[in-house]
Amino acid sequence: MRQHLVELILFSTYAELRAEAARSYLGLVWWILEPAMMMGAFWLVFDVILETGGHDYVPFLIIGMAIWQWMKSCITHGGYAIWGNLPMLRQVRLPPLIFPLVAMLSDTVKFAFILALLLVILWSMGYPPNTAYWALPILFAIVFMAAAGAGFIVGALVPLVPDLRFVIEQVLMVVMFLSGVVFPLDQVPAELRWLMDLNPVAVIMDNARGILMHGRLPNWVGLYKVALISVGACVVGVLFVRRLAPRFPKLAS
Amino acid sequence: MGEILVELEHVGVAFDVQRNIGGGRYWALEDVNLTLRRGERLGIIGRNGAGKSTLLRVLAGILVPDRGTVRRAPVSCQLLALALGFVGHLSGRDNAVLSGLMLGMRRREIIRRLPAIREFSELGEFFEQPIATYSAGMNMRLAFSVAMQVEPDVLLIDEVLSVGDAEFQHKSHAAMHARTGEGNTIVLVSHDEKQIAERCDRLLWVEQGRSQLEGSLKDVLAAYHRDQHTCGVAA
Repeated sequence: MRQHLVELILFSTYAELRAEAARSYLGLVWWILEPAMMMGAFWLVFDVILETGGHDYVPFLIIGMAIWQWMKSCITHGGYAIWGNLPMLRQVRLPPLIFPLVAMLSDTVKFAFILALLLVILWSMGYPPNTAYWALPILFAIVFMAAAGAGFIVGALVPLVPDLRFVIEQVLMVVMFLSGVVFPLDQVPAELRWLMDLNPVAVIMDNARGILMHGRLPNWVGLYKVALISVGACVVGVLFVRRLAPRFPKLAS
Repeated sequence: MGEILVELEHVGVAFDVQRNIGGGRYWALEDVNLTLRRGERLGIIGRNGAGKSTLLRVLAGILVPDRGTVRRAPVSCQLLALALGFVGHLSGRDNAVLSGLMLGMRRREIIRRLPAIREFSELGEFFEQPIATYSAGMNMRLAFSVAMQVEPDVLLIDEVLSVGDAEFQHKSHAAMHARTGEGNTIVLVSHDEKQIAERCDRLLWVEQGRSQLEGSLKDVLAAYHRDQHTCGVAA
């Protein structure tokens, strides 16, 4: 039974990626081109026109955007996955959790492409590989846990309250600006600092830049706290989905 | 008599009338009792909206009843679903694997049966092409060929009996016949009494979400006809 579900999840992920590549003329190219265009747009506005950044701004921005896009797509795609597959859940008995998992796995595969591009750009800009790179897999595992936790919670609720879809995008935009994805959080008042230290996205951004730009190992204590919060979110999300599972086949999408 | 595979006692299933705060509930099934033994071929009859399809989905384990109890032996109960999980941009082969996995088959098992699926569907070279290029008939042929490879302990059928053009209909009819012949455990919902009479040994008559009568094919059909007749006269 378990093995069967693993096979189903892996093959569905392959099918989703393959179908997505076949849907447009440029196919796979868009997996890199789309985030590249987005980074370009932010660079144009914040660096060229507004001149907010210093000389480190471009690497700062592209690291932030690459990781944020991964998290965001896991949360939104994973969050809408059960809702989008309600017709399937009305026809066959499957654990609903597989749908957000498939969405998140395919977004993770796409992130792997973007990561490769990101590393090449960083190296060519004078930020060569360094010994702190070994901490990256740990960091990425925490990124995935944080995004998956949020995605599961959203995914459990959207089928019941589809109206949430109109709210999620805006909430994520606020989170993005409050997490130092696009510009540094230097202006956050000192009394709110503690909150930023518990914001998984902000901590992840800080540590990712530390590793990739400065060869600095993560702040393990801070990362540990964020990992706990992320695992907690995953547990809550999975419990939510399992608790609400009997209601899904009765819902209209 | 075979062992009991599924047993329903006073089962009721309620749906929310609409997505709204304080919206009411509607009981699609009120009180259904049913016993299914191994090797039995049970037909479910009743008027439109009697709850037949809901009942089938309770048997499949898709719907969890809101009241009453379901007892199930450790067996697989699968609804015959056509084109489940099909993705337009994938080849017939990939879709067959995907659909088979969704229907509970193991990957190597499906791969072993791919030649049979290709053969039965008569798709030839098209088997490797995206199904978005298929005609509706080709799509149905693939869907049916995949569905026929799934072999649950209990097969639940909701009105799908044969598909495709005349020639393929003949073939799919024969395949269905083999799957619903004696020795198989099936539950069949259909409006077509001829189909029911051909394939079922026992009948359950459901009316407004309640089991009205359960018994041999002949007795239940006779009672059902009598009732329809009196209703017809009264109206």
